[in-house]
Order: sequence, then structure tokens, then C-alpha cells
Amino acid sequence: MTQRPTRNLGRKLYADRMYYLMFLPVMVFALVFSYAPMAGVALAFTKFKSTSVDGPEWIGFDNFENLFVGIKSDLFWGSFANTITLSVANLVLATILSVVIALLLNELVSRKGRSFIQTVIYLPHFMSWVVVASIFTIVLSPSDGFINNLLKGLGAKDSIYFLADEGWWTPVYLFINRWKETGWGTIIYLAALTTISPEQYEAAMVDGAGRFRQMLVITLPALSTTILIVFILNLGKVLNIFESVFVLQNPLVYDTSDVLTTFAYRVGFKDGNYALGTAIDLFKSFIGLILVLSTDAINRKIRGSSVL
Amino acid sequence: MTRSRFVAAFGVLLMLSTMAAFAQTKPKSIKLMVDGTFQVKENGEQALVDGFKALSGIDLVLNHPIHNEYYTKVDLAFATGDIPEILLLGGNNYIKYAQAGMLVDVTDLYNKSAFKKNIKDPGVIEAVKLKGKLYGIPLERGNGTVTYVRGDWLEKLGLKAPATYAEFLDMLRAFKNKNPDGLTPDQVIPITAAGLVNSDPSAPMDMYLREFYQDANPDFFQVAGKWVDGFSLPNMEGALDRMRLAYSEGLIDKEIITNKTSTARDKWNSGKVGVFNYWAGQWNQNLQLNLAANVPQGKVTPIPAIKEAKYIERPATVYAITQKNAKNAPSLFKYWYEFVLDGGKGQTWASFGTEGIFHKVVDGKLQWLPSIQDPKKPFTKAIITAETPVNKWNSRYDAPELIDKSLAVFQANSVAYGLIPFSEEAMELVPDLNQIRTKYVSKIVFGELSVKDGLAAYAKETAKYTRIILKELNSK
Repeated sequence: MTQRPTRNLGRKLYADRMYYLMFLPVMVFALVFSYAPMAGVALAFTKFKSTSVDGPEWIGFDNFENLFVGIKSDLFWGSFANTITLSVANLVLATILSVVIALLLNELVSRKGRSFIQTVIYLPHFMSWVVVASIFTIVLSPSDGFINNLLKGLGAKDSIYFLADEGWWTPVYLFINRWKETGWGTIIYLAALTTISPEQYEAAMVDGAGRFRQMLVITLPALSTTILIVFILNLGKVLNIFESVFVLQNPLVYDTSDVLTTFAYRVGFKDGNYALGTAIDLFKSFIGLILVLSTDAINRKIRGSSVL
Repeated sequence: MTRSRFVAAFGVLLMLSTMAAFAQTKPKSIKLMVDGTFQVKENGEQALVDGFKALSGIDLVLNHPIHNEYYTKVDLAFATGDIPEILLLGGNNYIKYAQAGMLVDVTDLYNKSAFKKNIKDPGVIEAVKLKGKLYGIPLERGNGTVTYVRGDWLEKLGLKAPATYAEFLDMLRAFKNKNPDGLTPDQVIPITAAGLVNSDPSAPMDMYLREFYQDANPDFFQVAGKWVDGFSLPNMEGALDRMRLAYSEGLIDKEIITNKTSTARDKWNSGKVGVFNYWAGQWNQNLQLNLAANVPQGKVTPIPAIKEAKYIERPATVYAITQKNAKNAPSLFKYWYEFVLDGGKGQTWASFGTEGIFHKVVDGKLQWLPSIQDPKKPFTKAIITAETPVNKWNSRYDAPELIDKSLAVFQANSVAYGLIPFSEEAMELVPDLNQIRTKYVSKIVFGELSVKDGLAAYAKETAKYTRIILKELNSK
């Protein structure tokens, strides 16, 4: 005689009740702070400004039409292209540099030296973007900045206004991002490295593999799943670049630095057009979702398993 | 007899009830939204609130966001329905809410007010009227910026204040190349500002760098009764050319684009800057005190505008009553506006704060006390700038000569700008358009585009914006 599934489920739930109780605060937190605010996306389909006396007025897809083909379309598509360029470049660099630095740290024999370097490279993560922007504005100053003084010492005639030059802004932006976040990005990889059995390295050594060969054939394959998971997780939030751009942009580089989030902030908060600001952000989230799903689909094809 | 008594009693009752209906009941509290021009928490905000309660018996309930987030919070307050009874509004934000019907028309209340007869310059009130109606009352003049130069450098170099653009450039060159403090040309910043275009929406775009803009105005204004885009007029070409040449010669701060207002001030305070166009009045004193901390012999001297230019007085910021509280408007008007512009105790509170905390009285004259936040400096205001109220009154206060002089220089050399009556739809396009304008000014001045190419690219990129905005402005 088979038992009813609902009964089974009820018994299972009761048996694991303490686990569910432990999970409850997390679920409540997620519902209140992550899911409930999602109702706000409905604003994207309304006309709602700070001067809307009667509240939001339903207008369907008019906001999206305004963004895609309307008067704001040039600014919108420009910021979209910048978002993709900066985000993807940042993500690829972040993944490569974090893995490389984690591997190099892993090779360090001295524990003290390793701890010291880890502390030094983690520190910038805890600085606010405002502070980081101030530091680099001073360091890169065309008047008396350290870098320009160095270049002059090496024979350069003219100083470079790094933060106000369209050609320089993107590389400088990416460099500053990596300076701030690469150290922090190594943590997960360093944790993953500790799970690799030392016996594998010993066996490889017996077979005559040097350190570089060991890294290629043991460490990197062992890290590949972690790299992919971290990549996909980061991909989900890769388009959320705001603070870093906001504090580093200026009128000379608007064409290369304006991204969807700064555009949404300007439209939504500075101009008080909350509905249009929400539409921009909803579009950004939609693109983020497509990126995550397509990367997972590619992964499933290559590796035969999904990480989502 | 009985009948006539009855009629008399009825008449009295009718009169009393009519009076009661028209009398302004005293509010228990006033919800006020203000920016950083109202003393901040760290510098006596509570003392001001307590002072108001002691004098009027009314609680002042403040919504007091930090200064540079003020208009974002104002928008949020209206959007969420958490609307104050009275709030401070300036420039486009005043127009936006007035045009949207969210502010009370106070024209009649103003016309009947006790303080109207004491208004010093009716032009200040006229400048904030929209289609002949007042939606807010300024408590002080709009004020504007004046060009400050290092007076000690001028003296040491044996120069007079420049009277023409050519002399102005010669002065910048002298500051840079023959610096009397022994600074090398690389160390001197002849003139600085927070950007090439002013980005504060409550003040005109061409407010700073007056010597370079001269008669050009990159915003919309009227020519012979017709609205035009000043950016596309021939005199803008001249302004851009002047800035471009001065920048390439190293006379304008290399980092002007990345300067914030605070950065520009810090540079001035460091003693490396020769010229800085900034607010007239109290800021003269602040700049002097801050410069003297680093360069004791440093002198901050306001100079008259050069022959080719004028300083700009912006339309004053106003205190407005929100439409949501329209039924209490007469009462709010009486207990706020009539109080702070009463020429007596109320205005003393609004201008000089609470006695014993903000000011003291010596020989019948008011003197500022040291500020709470920085006791090395005196308080300079409570809510209304003491030196520039809209009305005449006996404040029993002698402003420091420095402040008076800079205001006198400004007022003798300034022209008043009016409000641009943007519609709601046009207002939505203005921030994007201004960003594009700033971009092209920057690109041209930095030499990335020639003046002609830059203006042509501007015209192409902004055609759809300016067409809509000008059509709306000129249809009124």
C-alpha cells in the first residue's frame, strides 16, 4: 500500500521542522527586502513623476517606447552600450586577475608573507568609492599628480588629464576597479584551493611535473567549477555599476562613461521622473537575466550540468 | 423693543461668526522643508526651533535634508505624499511645482500683507512671479557671484583691478608668470571654478567665469520678446573662443572639469589661486578667513565687473505653501511669512537666531557669537542672510565692512536674470539638454573640437530638444 504524497510531505516537514525554523528568518528577510519591493517594477508601465498629483497613471509600454525610439533614445542606447562595454570588460578582468592572484598567493611558501599580502590587497575593498575617487583624482591630477610627475621625470612634455580624456577614461576606470576589488575577489578562489588534495600534487611531483605544470593540470581544473559559479553569480550583478562610474565621470567623458544606472539615477531621482527611471532599471535587470540564463545554457552544453 | 434687541443680538452673533470664519486660527505646528541654508543640526538647528516656539508658541517641524540632496528629497516628498506645509524652492524646481498646480497662489495674501510696504526692491518679487502670480515669497534677495582676486598680489605687482577683458588676461598672466609669493608658473592656478558651466539648477549656467562668457548666455532667454537658445547665438562662439584660448595658455585651472565647488574653494584657500568667482556677501568673509589660515598676508578683494561683462543676480529662492495645505494658507502666511518679515522679534530670530546662542546685544547692537560647529569663526546667519533681506527694517546690526563691500560691488555691477517659464514637458528635457551643453563647452575648451565643429555637433545633437522647448516657450 502506497502512502499519500501530501502525508509524506507533511511528515518530512515536521521531521525537519527545526531546519525550517532556522530558515524562516532568511525567508522572511528575502520576502520583505527582495521580493516585496519587486512590486515596484509596475511603475515602469505608468506615468509617475513628483508632480503627479493623482498618483501613477497606467500607460503600458510608452516609457519603453520613449527610451527605445523616443527623444531619449540616443542617451539611452549610448548608456546601454557603455554599460555592456564597461561591465563585460570589468567582469572578464576581474575573473582573470582574481584567479591569477589567488594562484600566485597559493604558491607563496611564507605564511606571514601571504597573510601580509592578503591584508594589503583586501584593504581597498573596504574604502568607499568617494574616497577611492578622491585618491585617484589626486594621484592622476594633470597639475601635480604623482603619475604625471613621474611621466614628466621620464621626459614627457605634456601632462595627461587621465580622468577627462575619453581615450584614457575606460582603461583608468577598469584599473581603479581592479585595484579596489581584485584582492577581495580572490577569497573564494583561495578557499577553493584549500579543498584540493595535497596527494594530487605529490603524485604529480613523482611523475616529474614542475610547479607550473601542476598548476595547469591540477589546480586550474579543480578551480574550474568555482570559477564558473563565481562568473555566473557576478554576471547577474555585472550591470549594476553605479557608484564607481558616478564618482569618476565628468562632462568630457559623458559619451563613454554614462551607464544605465547613472542615466536611471538622473532621470529617476534628479529629474523626479520615477516611472521612466524604473523602466530604465527594469530593462537593465532584464538584460542581466538574459546574460545569466545564456551563460548557464552554454555551460550546460559544454559541461552537461547547470549551476542554476 | 424686544424685537429690536433680538435683531441686535442676532447681528452681533452674525458678525462674530463671520469674524471667526475669517480669522486665521493659530496652527499648533508648521511643517517646514528647508535646505542647508537653514542652520544644520550640528550648528544650532534645535536652538532655532526652540527659539521659534518660545516666540510664537508654534512647533516648527523640520524636514531638513543635506544641502546637495535637497531637491531629490523634495521630489520624493511630493511623490510619496509626505508633503510639507511650507518649503523652500528655487529656479526650475519652483517653476515645476508652481506650473503643476502644487503650490498656493499667494498673490492676494502678499498684496494684503503688512510687510509689502517695506519691500526694498519690488523687482525681486516681480522676478519670481509666473504669469503675474506669486507662488512663493523670497525672504532675501537672490544674490549672485562676484569676482574675487588676490588683492595682495595685485598690490605687490603694482596692478589696478582690471577694467577690460584684455587687462583681466594680463592680470592672470602676471599672477602666473611673476607671482609675488614666489610660486612657479606651474604652481599657480590663475583662475579656478567648479566646472566651465554652472550645474546648480537654482542658479544660471553662466554664473561663474563671467569675464569669459561676457554677453553670451548658453541657456534660453528672450530677444525682442522671442525665446531663443543662447547656445546657438553668435556671441556664444566668442565666449567659447575666449575660454579655449585662456585654457590652452594655462590661465584657467587645468582641472576645472573635475573640480567640485568644494575643490575649487579648497584650492583658493590653499593660496595658489589668483581669481575665483564666488558668492558675494558673507562668502567674502569666509574666503578671507580660510585663506588667512594658510596665507596670513592673503587678501580677498572683490573687483567690479570688467567693461564687457556684468555679474548676474539669480531669481531669489522662495518659501512656498503647498496646495495640499491650501485651506490653511492664510494662517500659515500669517504665522510664518508675516512673522519672519515682521521687522521685529520674528525677523531678528530668522536673521540672527536665538539670543545668547547665535548672537549677543552689545550697546544696543547685535553681534554674532562664535559658531557651535567651528568656534574659531562667528555665526553668519540663521535662516535669512542678515545683509540681504527683501524688506527694510532696523536690524541693529552693522555688517563687517568686507561683506558690505562685496555686496556693494556686486549690486553695482549686476543684472537680474528672470525665470524661464518651462512647461512640465519641456522641464523634462532640460536636464539632458544641459548635460549636452556642458559636454560641448568642455570639449571645445579642452581643444577636442573646434568652436565651429563643436557648435555644429551641438546643434545636430540637440535639435529635437530645442525645437520642442522653443515651440512651447514661444507659444505662450
